Amino acid sequence: MLRYQENNELHRDFHGTTNATLNYIAAHYGVDALKTILRKTGHDVYKSIREKLEKGDGSELIEHLNWFFYRERGKYQLTVSENEILFEVFECPAIRHLRKLNMEPSPHICLQTSEVNAGMCEGTPWHSELKVLGEGHCIQIFRKAEKDDTE
Amino acid sequence: MIPSDHFVRFYNEVFKFLDEQNGLKPYYEEISRHQERHCLKLFMEKGLLGMEEYWGTIRVEENCVCTSYIEDGVRYSHMSRCPSLSKVLDSDAEPCGKYCLHCPGWVAPLMTKCGFYYIKYLRALDRPECYSVFSEYRDKIESIRRDLIRQGFKHIFSNLDDFAEVEANREIRHRIQKSDA
Repeated sequence: MLRYQENNELHRDFHGTTNATLNYIAAHYGVDALKTILRKTGHDVYKSIREKLEKGDGSELIEHLNWFFYRERGKYQLTVSENEILFEVFECPAIRHLRKLNMEPSPHICLQTSEVNAGMCEGTPWHSELKVLGEGHCIQIFRKAEKDDTE
Repeated sequence: MIPSDHFVRFYNEVFKFLDEQNGLKPYYEEISRHQERHCLKLFMEKGLLGMEEYWGTIRVEENCVCTSYIEDGVRYSHMSRCPSLSKVLDSDAEPCGKYCLHCPGWVAPLMTKCGFYYIKYLRALDRPECYSVFSEYRDKIESIRRDLIRQGFKHIFSNLDDFAEVEANREIRHRIQKSDA
């Protein structure tokens, strides 16, 4: 079950403010500072997802990806197996909205995904990976580490 | 992608970081410049009605519980449940104690640029409720500020100190409105 139940109206222009913020933080404090903020967002805001991942339970992460990309009319494919969650986004709703606003997507835009995902996985048996295949097209991979044979 | 539903929880993390760096004010100014893309033309051309139009859309999209009205050249707004702070308070991350300051932080410079006086007041920074008043008449906003101080409000934000800039920009706005008429 999702920790943050969101099911009413959407304010997509927040993607514009996020984009401006990514550029601002990177320009004034550096990309590492930006990564720290995003990773902390993943770790702290999504504590509930992280704590489930710690127990090997990917259910809230799956629900999170599915619900919020569905809500924002993303085009995606979610493939789940025991130790892997593969989420391919064919059209990122954030980038689509930025283009609608005539805004250039920040060069750091995909750090939102890679760092927040990494923050969610911190201290858990899961690792995240992001493969950017083109503008608005990426594959997010969450892979659970195999159990150590010595255990 | 951080879902737009969760943007304010990210914003909260940004504020905590910037507050540690003593960097909130310049960031608010940057956000204010960013918001010009959505508001500047509308407010310059339509004034208080433009504000009703913009914040009317925000009220719906951001799920605000808010009422507003215009009377005698003054726009009054009462946010009785701010969705932004409400989400930040309903988060597993610690809320930034200065979260509410971002709102006057971007609105005040924009109002100055549009030639409007603005005052915002709230009783507490951890309560999702606030009041805002907008007008091109300095005396009306000054009178509200005096009353608020008398009533003991601690959190009052305004652009009254920037009156020279507000007055100059008000003239520009009037010229724009005349040329549009």
